[in-house]
Amino acid sequence: MSDEKYQAISKAVTEGEDIQTGELVKAALDASLPPLEILQKGVVDGITKAGELWKANQYFLPDVILSADAFKVGMEVLDPELKNTQTGPSRGKYIIGVVEGDMHDLGKSLVVALLTSAGFEVVDLGIDVPMDKFVEAVKTHQPTIVGLGAYMTTTMLIMKDIIKELSNQGLRNNVKVMVGGVPTSQEFSDEVGADAWGRDALDAMQKALTLVGG
Amino acid sequence: MANPNLEMLHGMLYGKGIRFGRLSGLARIIAAMTGDHADVVPFQGPQIHDHAMTVAKVPARKYYWDADLLVDVHLAVCRWYGFDSATIVADAYNLEVEALGAKMIYSDYAMPTVDVSDPLIKSPSDLDKIGSLDPSKGRIPYGIKIGQLFLQKSPGPFAGGFFCSPWSLICQAMGYPKAVRALKRDKAFAQALFDWAENQAIWPYMQALRKAEVKNANGADAWAAFPELTPELVEEWIVPSADRLRERGKKELGMTVSAGTAAADYCEEDIAKFDKEVMFKCWTAAAKTFPLKVAFSGMGRTQEWNMHWLQEYAVKAGTGGKKLPVMASLNGRFMRDSEPEQIIAKIAEWIDILGRDGRMLVFIGNVPADTPSLNVHTAVNAVRTLGKYPIAKDLSKIKVDSPQFKPFDEWLKDQPEADIIFKSRQSKAN
Repeated sequence: MSDEKYQAISKAVTEGEDIQTGELVKAALDASLPPLEILQKGVVDGITKAGELWKANQYFLPDVILSADAFKVGMEVLDPELKNTQTGPSRGKYIIGVVEGDMHDLGKSLVVALLTSAGFEVVDLGIDVPMDKFVEAVKTHQPTIVGLGAYMTTTMLIMKDIIKELSNQGLRNNVKVMVGGVPTSQEFSDEVGADAWGRDALDAMQKALTLVGG
Repeated sequence: MANPNLEMLHGMLYGKGIRFGRLSGLARIIAAMTGDHADVVPFQGPQIHDHAMTVAKVPARKYYWDADLLVDVHLAVCRWYGFDSATIVADAYNLEVEALGAKMIYSDYAMPTVDVSDPLIKSPSDLDKIGSLDPSKGRIPYGIKIGQLFLQKSPGPFAGGFFCSPWSLICQAMGYPKAVRALKRDKAFAQALFDWAENQAIWPYMQALRKAEVKNANGADAWAAFPELTPELVEEWIVPSADRLRERGKKELGMTVSAGTAAADYCEEDIAKFDKEVMFKCWTAAAKTFPLKVAFSGMGRTQEWNMHWLQEYAVKAGTGGKKLPVMASLNGRFMRDSEPEQIIAKIAEWIDILGRDGRMLVFIGNVPADTPSLNVHTAVNAVRTLGKYPIAKDLSKIKVDSPQFKPFDEWLKDQPEADIIFKSRQSKAN
């Protein structure tokens, strides 16, 4: 019975049915199913399947957007319950933000959704994030990884300054840095001294898992 | 020969085998587009505003407000590189939403950008509150003047105004995720959004352009590229919208309004996902909105494409025994990140596949700000050397010399744009 409920949640997330996802997650909680199982077997399973379909060229970005929306709704319902539950060891803390002067957040939102599903504790600094805020966040949260996003060829250049500032302040050795966004590339990532480049949201999640050895 | 009509005629005749005289850049492009081939594969001027600003070292807060400066920087930088045409466009996706009241972020070093954290359209009821675009507001007058100056300083079929196409405008006004949700889940709202974009945002701008004697406008639509939209969604929404604007422009203003440029541009990033069938669908959908009948590659990861597929498509889609002209676009990041030797090798590979039977043009899909100028000069020089007709049997035996060029500032001293560019560097604000 519970497996059917998880499958229904997973299907709703994969198919991007956000309202239905919220209702199904709530129903599962009302039925006293464990929040962690709802997360893993339902919500995460659904977004993972959407990712697989994306990778197999059966899903395209509009489909993934709807799945991510449904995932988000499911997480919103689930989150308060998860906070009351011991969820086991996290993959680590991941700070993410779009650099100053850049307001594009679509890619970041997808990365946040997938990192969360992969077990990272994500601290989302948002968009148009000044260098100082990244540095302060690294000091405060002591993350395993910091992710920098940019959408414009002008703003992406700030990434180099941020990485340099992390070094200047003696923080670089304790944190991995990932970069991503449409104009970035592996070559750019190497040039600015990042540890990994996320080609797209799924790739970013996989590279993050590699960086933490998982 | 500085008359664009004569240059076009020259190109048409040359392409049809009546070959005399030295081709201008425009004539070369027309020869490749309409005939068999030109004297050499043409290199079209790319979208280059960020890069041109960087090369010319002019402040963003002046460049994105001062039409004279933006146009002169484009013309100078395009000429310095030796392109066969100039594409002059500013931050084409921002002007309408900015004038309608969208919150913007302005920067000293980058183009303006929409603050998507506080979008113009948050709910369907906002559509009624926004009202129609007032073409005297925001930077619409700047856009109009760019169109006028482009026509005045570099006349020809590619000169004109620019605008943000309906779909990309909707994305700018409410964010892509919500906009795409409307397409997939709420078609009535999606149609209301297109109606608003076409009639209340874009149309007043077109009227103002026409009043300023700009009779040709091109609408960028990168948010409709693949995979942001599938070719099916492009066919369902973008093509009909572009048709409506084209018809209305022709009928009511006697103007060419080309919306949907770059719709269905195949921009898949993951090489493992490259799919011939999807690519063919994209090229077919793209041809329905692109102002020129070409097999189009734009901003995608083209350096990894199998160009035999593009050639196969162009041959299949051609008419009268001639393939469609092929727009072979070098990826912007490839141009920025590659060594000159890699660029030369890529161009040799492409000319070998796409250029032997003519009807090939080279282009760059939006030049990133920090692209080394050496790389762009190398690309132009390589196309000029390797793309000479008849194409050499073995291109590997053709030596491409290092491009010879003066540093931009030194070259600029003798150019008509020197004064405005050098003076603008002293100014920090508009």
